[in-house]
Amino acid sequence: MGKNLQVWLVAFAVVLIFFYGLDHLVMNMQGLPLNIDLTPSQ
Amino acid sequence: MKETRNFSSPILLSLLMIAVLGFLWSGDMAPTHWLPEAVASEVAAEEVATAEGADAAQELKLRPAPRPSREDYPDVGTSSRSIVWIIAQMHLFFGALVLAVPLFVLVIELLGKSTGDARYDDMAHEFMKISITAYSITALFGGTLALALFLLYPDLMAYLMQAFGAQMLVYAMLFFMESILLYIYYYGWDALRYGNAKWVHISLGLLLNGVGATLMVMANSWATFMMAPSGVNEVGAVIGNIWEVMKGPLWNPINLHRFIANIAFGGAVVGAYAAYKCLAARTAEDRAHYDWMGYTSNFIAILAFLPLPFAGYWLMAEIYAYSQQMGITAMGGILAWLFIVQAVLIGTILMAGNYYLWSGMSRTEGSKRYQGMIKYIAVVLVICFLIWVTPHTLILTSGEIAALGGSHHHLLGPLGIMPAKNIAVNLMLIFTFLSFQIYRRSDKVATVSWEKAGNALMVAIYVVAIANIIFAGVYYGYFTNTVYKVGASVTQVVSTLVVIISGVVIDAFMYRKAKTLPSFWGQVSNRSQYALFALPIAFTWLMALMGYVRSSVRTHWHVYTVMKDNSPDNFIPTIGYAGNMMTIVTVMFVLFVLFIFWIASLSNTKQAPPLPVTKKAGEAA
Repeated sequence: MGKNLQVWLVAFAVVLIFFYGLDHLVMNMQGLPLNIDLTPSQ
Repeated sequence: MKETRNFSSPILLSLLMIAVLGFLWSGDMAPTHWLPEAVASEVAAEEVATAEGADAAQELKLRPAPRPSREDYPDVGTSSRSIVWIIAQMHLFFGALVLAVPLFVLVIELLGKSTGDARYDDMAHEFMKISITAYSITALFGGTLALALFLLYPDLMAYLMQAFGAQMLVYAMLFFMESILLYIYYYGWDALRYGNAKWVHISLGLLLNGVGATLMVMANSWATFMMAPSGVNEVGAVIGNIWEVMKGPLWNPINLHRFIANIAFGGAVVGAYAAYKCLAARTAEDRAHYDWMGYTSNFIAILAFLPLPFAGYWLMAEIYAYSQQMGITAMGGILAWLFIVQAVLIGTILMAGNYYLWSGMSRTEGSKRYQGMIKYIAVVLVICFLIWVTPHTLILTSGEIAALGGSHHHLLGPLGIMPAKNIAVNLMLIFTFLSFQIYRRSDKVATVSWEKAGNALMVAIYVVAIANIIFAGVYYGYFTNTVYKVGASVTQVVSTLVVIISGVVIDAFMYRKAKTLPSFWGQVSNRSQYALFALPIAFTWLMALMGYVRSSVRTHWHVYTVMKDNSPDNFIPTIGYAGNMMTIVTVMFVLFVLFIFWIASLSNTKQAPPLPVTKKAGEAA
């Protein structure tokens, strides 16, 4: 795997995890918890 | 050439206002018809019945809000509301301008001090020249507004004086201080230019802005008290202290919204001044200077504009939280259509701002690396703009409803509701920031070793943020319940803010020691300068439009739920009538602004001295 590809994959992985956490955080702060698949908790 | 300016009008108006307010506050002009006597005594009796001892005596002093009848409103032969509407709107336009300009002037001055580049200082001084002329006009409209309100709505003003009391005197005195500080700040610019004296000047600028911001939030509290009164009981009697009266539920949302909007508006107006001077420039040096000034103004206007929709969203959310009925009046009833007009105007602002940035990229050869992206950005902006202006409910004839198969279009209907519009707005802001970012990168070549990783990270942030905004809008907007739909809009806003903040931070580090490519200021099309004229006109119209919405949500109340409006104008004006009023005030403002530009140019114009008179040959003999 080329170094360039690794850089891109790592960048996307880091950002995806960051936004996933951000979605949970922002919705939880409003009292709207999400399931792991980002569907609303019942 | 030494400039001379007439200081007298704002200072005299300040003194006049203090005198009028002091006189009125003394109670000499308190209305005698607050309530029909029977009602007043009934209210007082109820208050007494529920209080004990000393409290009862205190309660007796409470006066409910006045209930003026139609006859209590002076008839001046034309609509009082229209008179106040025009004057108030003009005062607000100029007030926004003169409060905003010193804010970014101070930042530019600090930038000049820290970089040692005299161009920043000169530019900041020139920006202030516009503000100082506008200040006199602001004061004149402010004084006229006060007189018009006391003449045309005496009961309302007397009630507001009762509610706010000495705060109004403090306001008048702060206005006095603002005048003094503004004149010292502007006319002391060259006297306090170097060394420690410069810090004295910057401190004066800080004080000026502190006083200006305080004036703004105090005036805001009057408007928000009328929309969502606090510190009063159910009949409008003042039961709280001044702080409780001021800090109503809508005060801080309005404060934030106006603070940001003023900066964007001020940047747009001084941008038009720079464009005017750039187009009129006779030397390449002048054209380069005003091109740079126009760029800086557009930078300020667009940067301040990017977070503005979020502040507006917060304000609307607080309006709904305070009164769902008021929220629905604004966004679900007659006024809902105005949000479509708002979309057209904001779309105009974003298109003009983007177009200016794209045109400005021609100043440097380095922009060729990014020019291929412009067409894609334009496509996204246009699609999002079209989604934003798609109405939900159409005004249709029965034949059209039959042809359509219902009141909503089966394909376009879903685009008329907030989730689609939230996606469109956020994407427009993100792509405007992208234009901004590639513009800033055009004349630079990064030299850091981690450039590829930094770019990969930036691209990933854009892609994931956009996907997150679309996912949140579509999934939570259309496939879950309303609570999640509203909640998910916050994640959309946060995603956009992440893009903007990370873009600024990454670029700041990546281009810290970058190689700079030559930029040729003045090498820009005239068309780009016309975009700078479009911005303040769209901003002005937008402020007039949303001012109409904000004020109309009170419906038939002077002060919502506690003081009814019984004047002949106690109804929400029709959209067509309001549209005419908005256009009138916008045209008036533009004419006044052109006058200011002319005055600002006139102060630099010198008449050529007359040639010496030569005697004729015959006269000499």
